[in-house]
Amino acid sequence: MGPLSRLNSYYWTYRHLFIPGLLFAVISSVFAMIVPTVVRRAIDAIPQFVVTWNAVRGTPVESLVYWDLFSTLAFMGVAIVGLSILSGIFSFLMRQTVVVASRHIEFDLRNRLYDHLQRLSSGFYMTHPTGDLITRSTSDIEQVRRYIGPAIMYTTRAVVTIGTALTVMFVISPKLTLYALIPMPFLGLSVFLVARMVHVRSDRLQAQYSVLSSRVQEALAGIRVVKAYASEAVEEERFKRESAAYRERSLDLARVEAAWRPVFVFLVGLSSIFVVWKGGALVIEGSISLGNIAEYMIYVALMTWPVASMGFVITMVQRASASMTRLGDVFDAEPEIAGPLQPGDTRVRGEITFEHVSYRYPDTDQTVLDGISLHIPAGTTVAIVGRTGSGKTTLMELIPRLVDPVAGRVLVDGRDVREWPLEALRAGIGYVPQDVFLFSDTVGNNIRFGRMDADQEALREAVLDADLADAVEAFPKKYETFVGERGITLSGGQKQRVSLARALIREAPILLLDDALSAVDTGTERAILERLQRHYGRRTVVLVTHRVSAAQSADQILVLDEGAIVERGTHAQLEAAGGFYAALCRKQQLEAELEAMA
Amino acid sequence: MSDASTLRRIVEYLRPYSVWVGVALVSVLATSFLGPLIPKLVQVTIDQEIVAGDVEGIRRMIVLLIGVLAAESVLSFVNAYLTQWIGQQAIYDLRTRVYRHIQRQSLRFFDGQPIGRLITRATSDVESLSQVLSAGLVTILGDAFKIFFIAWFMFSLNWQLALVTISVMPIMLYATFWFKRKVRDAYRDTRAQVARLNAFMQEHVSGMRIVQLFGREGEEMRRFEAVNDDHREAHLRTIFYFALFWPAIDLVSSIALGLVIWYGGLSAMTSTLTVGVLIAFIQYARQFFEPMRNLSDQFNTLQSAMAGAERIFDLLDTDASILEASEPRALGTVRGRIAFRNVWFSYDPEARVGDDGAEWVLKDVSFEVKPGQSLAIVGATGAGKTTIISLLLRFYDIQGGDILLDGVSIRDVRLRELRDQIGLVLQDVFLFSGTIGENITLGLPGIGTDACERAVDAIGARPFVGRLPGGLDHEVRERGALLSHGQRQLVSFARALVHDPRILVLDEATSSVDTETEEVIQRALERLMEGRTTVAIAHRLSTVQHADQILVLHHGQIRERGSHQELLRQDGLYRRLYELQYSEQAA
Repeated sequence: MGPLSRLNSYYWTYRHLFIPGLLFAVISSVFAMIVPTVVRRAIDAIPQFVVTWNAVRGTPVESLVYWDLFSTLAFMGVAIVGLSILSGIFSFLMRQTVVVASRHIEFDLRNRLYDHLQRLSSGFYMTHPTGDLITRSTSDIEQVRRYIGPAIMYTTRAVVTIGTALTVMFVISPKLTLYALIPMPFLGLSVFLVARMVHVRSDRLQAQYSVLSSRVQEALAGIRVVKAYASEAVEEERFKRESAAYRERSLDLARVEAAWRPVFVFLVGLSSIFVVWKGGALVIEGSISLGNIAEYMIYVALMTWPVASMGFVITMVQRASASMTRLGDVFDAEPEIAGPLQPGDTRVRGEITFEHVSYRYPDTDQTVLDGISLHIPAGTTVAIVGRTGSGKTTLMELIPRLVDPVAGRVLVDGRDVREWPLEALRAGIGYVPQDVFLFSDTVGNNIRFGRMDADQEALREAVLDADLADAVEAFPKKYETFVGERGITLSGGQKQRVSLARALIREAPILLLDDALSAVDTGTERAILERLQRHYGRRTVVLVTHRVSAAQSADQILVLDEGAIVERGTHAQLEAAGGFYAALCRKQQLEAELEAMA
Repeated sequence: MSDASTLRRIVEYLRPYSVWVGVALVSVLATSFLGPLIPKLVQVTIDQEIVAGDVEGIRRMIVLLIGVLAAESVLSFVNAYLTQWIGQQAIYDLRTRVYRHIQRQSLRFFDGQPIGRLITRATSDVESLSQVLSAGLVTILGDAFKIFFIAWFMFSLNWQLALVTISVMPIMLYATFWFKRKVRDAYRDTRAQVARLNAFMQEHVSGMRIVQLFGREGEEMRRFEAVNDDHREAHLRTIFYFALFWPAIDLVSSIALGLVIWYGGLSAMTSTLTVGVLIAFIQYARQFFEPMRNLSDQFNTLQSAMAGAERIFDLLDTDASILEASEPRALGTVRGRIAFRNVWFSYDPEARVGDDGAEWVLKDVSFEVKPGQSLAIVGATGAGKTTIISLLLRFYDIQGGDILLDGVSIRDVRLRELRDQIGLVLQDVFLFSGTIGENITLGLPGIGTDACERAVDAIGARPFVGRLPGGLDHEVRERGALLSHGQRQLVSFARALVHDPRILVLDEATSSVDTETEEVIQRALERLMEGRTTVAIAHRLSTVQHADQILVLHHGQIRERGSHQELLRQDGLYRRLYELQYSEQAA
C-alpha cells in the first residue's frame, strides 16, 4: 500500500464515522439480499394455490382461498417494499458516514497542504510551478479522497453482497451456482482492464488537448508573423494535424468505452442465460423450483455491480497511491528559510549592513551578486540604479530573507538576519516589490493586508502618502471597491500605489521600494517621494529606480553592474564622476527636452 | 438565437455524415429491440420448454438467447463507437471552421480580444458540443425506442399487469426530477466553491512571497480554512441528496416488483398468467427505469452544450476580417516603389478624417521610397513608427489617404500577393515550436532545404546554427527562450531572406547585443537589404547613417526629413534623438 499508509492516522481520527459506517454497509446489504428469497417463496407458492384454486372453484371456500392468496401475496409484496426501505435507510446512513468522513479527511489534508505551502520559501516555488501545486491541491487530493470514501464503501458492500449471495445460492444448488458464476471473474477482470485502458487513454487525450491548445495559443500570439508571411494556410494545416491527432485520441478512448458496455451486458446476460439453461434442467429433474430460477436471476443482477465495482476499486487505489506520492513530495519538502528555534522578542531599528555578500541562483553557476559590502545607517536613504539584470532586486530580497546569501552576511541592527526571528524581522520591513501583486479583495483590505489592526485613520494616512486619495475617492465604492476580475481594473500606476500604501501602513522602520513607481509619471512620483521625505530620517529607505529625479536626493547612490557596486556616492559626486550615473542624468535631461518640444 | 435554431445549426454539422447517422439509427433501433426481447424469450423457455420438461427444447432456446445477446452486444458496440466517430468528425470540422475564422480576422479584432478567450472558443467550447454531436441525439432516440419496446412487450404479454407495473412511473419521474433539481442546485454551488477554492489557491500560491513578507500566514490560514470549509459543506449537501436518491430509486423498483408479485400472483390463479410471464415482468420492471434515468441526464447535457454553442456561433457570425478587393489588380513584377499619400489612421475604427476629437496615431503622413532605396523612421516611443509598418502590410485599413505599391493602391491587391512582396523582421523575434529550419521556411511549400541552407550561409548564421545539435533540424524549445537575442535575430533574418521579398520591413531591436554579435548582425542586415526597398524603424546608428532618407516622426506627424548629415545640421528633434539613442553606440 506504501504511500497510502500515511492516511492511517486519519482513519483513526474519524473512527466514530468509519466504524458505524461500515456496519451500516453490512446491514444494508443483508436486507437487500433477503428480497430474492421472498420472490422465490411467492413464485413457488403460486402453483400450489393454482392447484387448490382449481379444486375449490365454484365451492363456498372459493373466496376463502382467494383471500388467503391475496393476503399472502400482499404480505410478500409489502415485505419486499419493507426490506427495500430498511436497506435504503442503512444505505443512506452509510453514505452519510463513510462518504462524509472522506470529505472531512479531504478538508484536513488540504488544510495541512496549504499550511505547509505557507512555510516553504522561494526556492521551492521556483521548482514547482503554480499550476502544478494547484493540481495537487485539487485533483490529487480528490483521487485520495475517492480511495478513502467510495473505494472502501464499495469494497465492504461487495464483500457482504457477494458473500451472502454465494452462501444462499450454494445452499440451494452448488451446481447451478457454479454455472451462474462462470462469467463473474471475467466481469471483474474486464472492468479492471477497461478502467485501466480508459485512464491511460484519457491521460493521452488530455495531453493532446494541451498540445492543441498551445498550438492555437502560439498561432494567435504570433499572428503578425503568420499574416506578414501569408502563412495562414500552413498554420491551418498544422492546426488540422493536431486537431486530427486529437480526434484519433478521442476515438481511441471511444473504442474502449464503446466496448465496455457490451462486454458488461454480454457477461451479465450470459449468467442469466446459464441460470435458465442449467436451472431448467434441474427443475425438470425436480431438484429445484421455478422460484429458484427467479431468485437466482435476481441474485445475479444484484451481484453484477459489486463485482464490477471491484475492478474500479483497484484502479482507484492505484491512482490514489500515485497522487499520495505527489502530495508526499510537498509534505516532505523542508522549509529552507526558517527562523532560529528560540525566538527573542526584539524590534527592528533600521540599520542595514552587507558584508561581502554573494548570491547565485540555485543549481546554476550564474553569479547574481558578487561580494557586496554596504552600510546603511538607520534613518538614511539609499538609491540603487543599474541595468536590468545587474542584481538590484536580489539585493533587496536578501534583507527580508526572501533568499539567503551563498556567502557573506546580511545584518540588521548588527545582527545576522538568519538569527532574527523571521516574524520580527519581516514585521520591521515594508516591502514594495517590482511586480505588483494584489489580491482580489477590496482596495481597503489590500492595503490593510500590511497591518491587520490598522484603523481608518492609519488607512487614510497611508493612502494620502501614496498619493492614492483622489483615486480612491473616484472608485465606485471607495475603499470597498473590489480590484481585479470581480471589480474594477486598476491602472499600472494605481496598482503600484496600492502596493505602496500597503507597505506604508506598516509604519515599519525599513522601507524597501523595488522600482516601485515605474508606472507612475515623473510628477506624481516626485509628489510621493516628497511626502515620503517626511519619513526620511525616521525610516531607513532603500529604493531601486531608473529615474534620476527619484535618486538624486538620497544620502547614498549606488550603481550596480553585473552583481558588483561600480559607483557609489551622492548625486553631485556621481554626476561629476562621469560614469554610468552621469550618462543616465544626461539621457533623462534629453528626454525631458524632447517631451517639451512636442 | 432560440434554442431550437441553435440546435438546428449544430445538427447542420452532421449533414456530411448523414449516411452514417442513418446506419447508427438503424443499429440503435435494433439494439433497443433486442434488449427487451431477451426476457420475452426467457418467458417462452420457461412456459413452453421447462414446464413441459423438454431438455432439447431448452437447449434450442438457449442457443437462440445467446445469439440474441451476442447480437445485442455487438450492435451496442457499433452504436457507441459509430456515434462517437460521427461526433468526432463533426467536431473536427467545426473546430477547423472556428480556427480558420479566427485566423482570418484583422489585427483590429485581435487588439480587442484576449487571446485566452479565443483559445477557449476553439478548444473547450467546441469540446462541449461533442457530447451532443456524438452520443447525444442518437442516445436520446435509443432510449425512447427502448422505452417503447419494453412497454410493447409488456402489454403484449399481459396488459393489466403492464399497467400495474407502469403505475409507479409517476413516482419515479417525480423522484428523478426532484433529485435532478436539487442536485443541479447543489452542483452549481459545488462548482462555485471549487472555483473559489482554486482561485484562493492560485492567488495565494502566486502571491506567497507577499503573504510571507507581510507576516500574514496565520490570518491567511484562517481564511483558507473558511473557504475550504464552505467547499466541504457544498459537497456534504450533494452527498446528502445522492444518499437519498439511490435508495429512493431502489425503493421505486421494489414497489414495482412487489406489485408484480402481488397482482401477477393473483392473475396467475384467476386467469391464464404463467410463471414465465411473471419472471419476465420482474425483469422488465428493472429494465424499464434505466432509459428513463438516462433521458433526464441527456437533457442536462444538451442544456449545458447550448451555452457553448451560442458563444461559438456568435464568434462565427461576427466578421472583422480585412475585405479583399472584389476585382483585385495583379501586381505583376514588383519593382518596390512605396508611397504614403496623406495617410490618416486611428485605432478607433469609428474615427473619421476631420474629427479632431479622435485619437489619431498618424496625421496626414506622406512619403515615398524609390525601388531599392532605404527609409529609416526615427522618433520617440509612441510616435507611430510601428503603425506605419502595420499599415504597409495592411494589418489595418486606413481612414484617410492612400498607400501605394508601384503606383497601385494596396486595397486593390490581394492580401496574399501584397504580403508575399514584403519581408517583415520584428524586434521581438517570434519563434514557433518546431525546428530552426521550419522557423525559417515557416513551412511554406516551395522552399527547399537547399534554399534554407543558402540563406543561413548568406546571413552569416552558419557558425551558430552549426553548433546546435541537429543544425537546422534542432528543435526550438520554449519559443526560443534558450537562444540568445542575437541568435533569434539571425533566424528571423534568414526567414526574411529565404522568402526573397522585394520589400524589407524592419523593426530593429532596441536592446544592445555584444560587439561581436553586433558585427555579425550588421553584415547580415547589409546582405538582407541588398537590392531591396527597405523601411526600417531604426535603432542602430549604422542603419540611420546609411539610410537614403530619414523620417522623424513625432506624435503621429512627420516633423523632419532628410539624410543623416542634413538632419544633424538642423539641430532639431533629430539631433536630440540621435544623442539619446545613438550616442552610446557612437562612443
